Amino acid sequence: MANAAGAAPGGHRNAFWGFLSLPGVAWLAALFVVPFYAVAAVAFGKIDPILRTADPVWNPAQWDFSAMNRVIDRVLDPNDLGKTFLRTFAYVGGALALCCLIGYPVAYFVARHAGPKRGLFLALLVLPFWISYLMRMLAWVNLLQPDGYVNRIIGWLHLPGEHNWLNGDWPAVVLGLTYGYIPFFILPLYAALERLDKRLIEAGRDLGASPSRVFRHVTLPLSVPGLLAASVITVLPMFGDYYTNGFLTSGSPRTEMIGNQIEFYLRGTSQPQTGASLVLILSAMLLVLMAYYLVVTVRAQRAVAT
Amino acid sequence: MSRNRPGQPARGLALVTWLYVLWSLLPVLIAIRISFNSGKSRSTFQSPSWRWYFTDPLQSVWHDDSLRQPLRNSLKLAALTMLITVPIGVAMAIGLQRWRGKLSKASNGLMLFPLVTPEIVMGVALFLVFTQVYTSVPRGFTTQLLGHITFSISYVVVIVRGRLAAIGPQYEEAARDLGANRMQAMRLVLLPLLGPAIFASLMVVFAGSIDDFVISSFLSTGASSETVPMKIYSSGRATATPALNALATIMLVFTLAAVGLAALVMRRMRMRQGGGDDVQLGNMAAVG
Amino acid sequence: MDTGFTRRQIIGGSARLGLALAVGVPLLQACGDDSKSSSGKVTESIKDGLKPEAGPLRVFDYDSYINPDVISSFEDKYGVKVEVTTFTSDDEAISKLASGAVDVDLHHSAATNSLFKLVDSGLIMPLNKTYLTNIGNVAAPLRDPYYDKGGTYTVPYTIFGTGIGFRADRVDPAGVNWETLWNPAYKGSASVLDDYREGLSMAMLRKGLTDVNTTDPAVIKKAGEDLSELTNLMNIKVEIEGYHTIPEGATTVAHTWSGDMLTALQYLPEGTTSDVLGYWQPEPAVINNDCMCVMTKAKNPVLAHLFIDHLIDKDNALTNFTFVGYQPAIEGIDSQYLIDQNLVPENLRTSVMTNDQIAQGYRFLQLSTDVEALWQDAWSKFTAGG
Repeated sequence: MANAAGAAPGGHRNAFWGFLSLPGVAWLAALFVVPFYAVAAVAFGKIDPILRTADPVWNPAQWDFSAMNRVIDRVLDPNDLGKTFLRTFAYVGGALALCCLIGYPVAYFVARHAGPKRGLFLALLVLPFWISYLMRMLAWVNLLQPDGYVNRIIGWLHLPGEHNWLNGDWPAVVLGLTYGYIPFFILPLYAALERLDKRLIEAGRDLGASPSRVFRHVTLPLSVPGLLAASVITVLPMFGDYYTNGFLTSGSPRTEMIGNQIEFYLRGTSQPQTGASLVLILSAMLLVLMAYYLVVTVRAQRAVAT
Repeated sequence: MSRNRPGQPARGLALVTWLYVLWSLLPVLIAIRISFNSGKSRSTFQSPSWRWYFTDPLQSVWHDDSLRQPLRNSLKLAALTMLITVPIGVAMAIGLQRWRGKLSKASNGLMLFPLVTPEIVMGVALFLVFTQVYTSVPRGFTTQLLGHITFSISYVVVIVRGRLAAIGPQYEEAARDLGANRMQAMRLVLLPLLGPAIFASLMVVFAGSIDDFVISSFLSTGASSETVPMKIYSSGRATATPALNALATIMLVFTLAAVGLAALVMRRMRMRQGGGDDVQLGNMAAVG
Repeated sequence: MDTGFTRRQIIGGSARLGLALAVGVPLLQACGDDSKSSSGKVTESIKDGLKPEAGPLRVFDYDSYINPDVISSFEDKYGVKVEVTTFTSDDEAISKLASGAVDVDLHHSAATNSLFKLVDSGLIMPLNKTYLTNIGNVAAPLRDPYYDKGGTYTVPYTIFGTGIGFRADRVDPAGVNWETLWNPAYKGSASVLDDYREGLSMAMLRKGLTDVNTTDPAVIKKAGEDLSELTNLMNIKVEIEGYHTIPEGATTVAHTWSGDMLTALQYLPEGTTSDVLGYWQPEPAVINNDCMCVMTKAKNPVLAHLFIDHLIDKDNALTNFTFVGYQPAIEGIDSQYLIDQNLVPENLRTSVMTNDQIAQGYRFLQLSTDVEALWQDAWSKFTAGG
């Protein structure tokens, strides 16, 4: 934002804006930052000897890393939690690929070719945000029942593979994740594509390139930052998902994701340190993505402000 | 708008887009239709009836407390979250936009963090903090409310800041030149200008709170603090009846009504100020 | 001049924040109350002759584990409301009670092997038997049980064994044993109980190892590996829903509790008879019973006692049985009695146990923290798809 008055930081005027931000900052400090520290305190803490519930240790000098070390060993073991991490990455990757495949054409169309109907399409794209995620999954559970419409249509079209979809196979989970998170992908991508400098694209056309060449050599490269941002914002929540597969496959070890293991250890066992350690490991893995998105967002904020 | 050569590519893309919209919305429409089944089937259509909404004396949403209570809880939670979060968020947005210095940058970063944190991480962190640190906070509804506010603040800030950036400082400066002090300039000039953004925030926070599953689930203490998403999750694979679909549909109606109402108010405000639909939707796209 | 917000600043900021927290949080800790510290066994119950409270009575239980009619008759009798909060596993129940995540009056289904946690930490209080007029109805083997001398803290609720529930129309009842769960003919329609003690001990029993409380890491590990065979061989599901998935047909063979097949009678679709249900249990089997106990911090302790008393009334117990399907721990209610009353079909006779079976069954005992961790990690490895 242009600092027209040329005011230096500090001083009465500046402090006023600081005070305005104070409630929000204090809130986030108390209920966002402290909880994260609590996770570490539990992960490196002890357990109550009788109840076997968490007994956090707040002083880093007294932290006990044995639970974390055990968990790291298991994560590195490809036959143990390592497999779960790999599977989670695979599912997220697969869902992201599907999101790109389906979402890019849709976002591109609405951004550039929708014409007067753009408002209508935008409303339709925004609509899933107002529908509860679990209701959308419930809708699929209804459809994928053994006597549900998906199997009926397959039978009617005489296609092979009438299937017990809810039986614990990865397609149900990957498709579920895609269906659930694709709105988070399409809207930011739309916003990015909509902001593309059209003159560059027209220049390509004016120079005689065919539409497909223009797309490949001008539009697509220009849309990469938007694609990356949309991918990150879609993928981050997917990594911690445990309810999509829990809902669609009801407890199949073959589709277990990291979120399920975190939930198991924190809700159903006497080893909260293991659960908390898993949370820390997951966060560490996602930190790169999170930092990337934060930096990009802050840069965008500054760009808009100037 | 671009001077496009109309033709095949656009039509192919249009087809893909319409197919996507169908794929996106049709299952939900089917689920809503199933809620009107007269029998217990959750997979096929049966003749329409209000059975699961209010006529069945034991299992309809109207009569079954185990379905009504989550509905009450969800709505209470969403309403309170909305009312508390938006003022905090608007103040923070205005403050952050104008504040200078390192502390401001750090606060901005802090504000952005919840947007990128996976819900399970937040849920676990909040659960642990309320069971280990803030143990005197009454568990259940209160902790759920605090959790919902925590993850909603950032949405408000981002939406309002977007609008603030577009407005710029000139209106307030004009008001100050005419003799108003800072508070008056904010109250009488800036806030009305922010009207559409504030309403957009109310909508987004309401919808976000109603839809929340992970945080509510980790901070719940039992039947009295169960929300509709939690109910759907626990009953969805068990022996539920279409009453569950009815419950979900009722929630959807509430959400759409709230959104519709806010959209109407926003349109009225914007007609007096001038600005496109795209700006607001673009804001929301930028948030997501 | 670029005063941009760089990665370095984010990291630097967080480091400073971390230091601030390390100092500040212990101060915060002091602000919270200390209610979670284990204060030790509670030895005094409530006084005699108190009036029932106004309610509502908050009951903590598995889902669908009390007959709504029995709840209604209690509500009518005392003019109070009853609220049921549910959990899906015993560990979840203890974790929620210990952390204060749930606030209830009556824990309706405590497991015997983890009872010591509730007693030693002072979460439950001794019962005042003057409120329990029907206490004489309790089944003989459980009046002075090994897990609760003198029945001080608990009254048993239901008794059950662990075995295999199956579709008698798809599986030959004569040949059913643990191996049936490993039979690829039933791939895609088999399930294992979502309970780490039950699951791992079943794998041990299958191999003829009868110490279901073993501390031997090799045995525990092997049990986990045996279970892992099921993952790809059978596309195994891990759930406790057998009581409705078997009658509905989605599951053919399930690791279940004995009461599940009796509960299943109510989930039979129209036109399907009880002949399709079958249950097998080894001899001896893992036997368990649920315990009802009153929370120390209960706001309605008298109501809690009266509710327990209500459930051990013989008529109420029978009514309850017709819904829950699990055998009540009431003297005189055994398989012959129930079959005579036409409450249990002959083909499900094995779902109800005799006093001898109860006395000879294997019981889950408490495990030390380290051993418990071994069991939990082995189970986690199985469910992680490892």
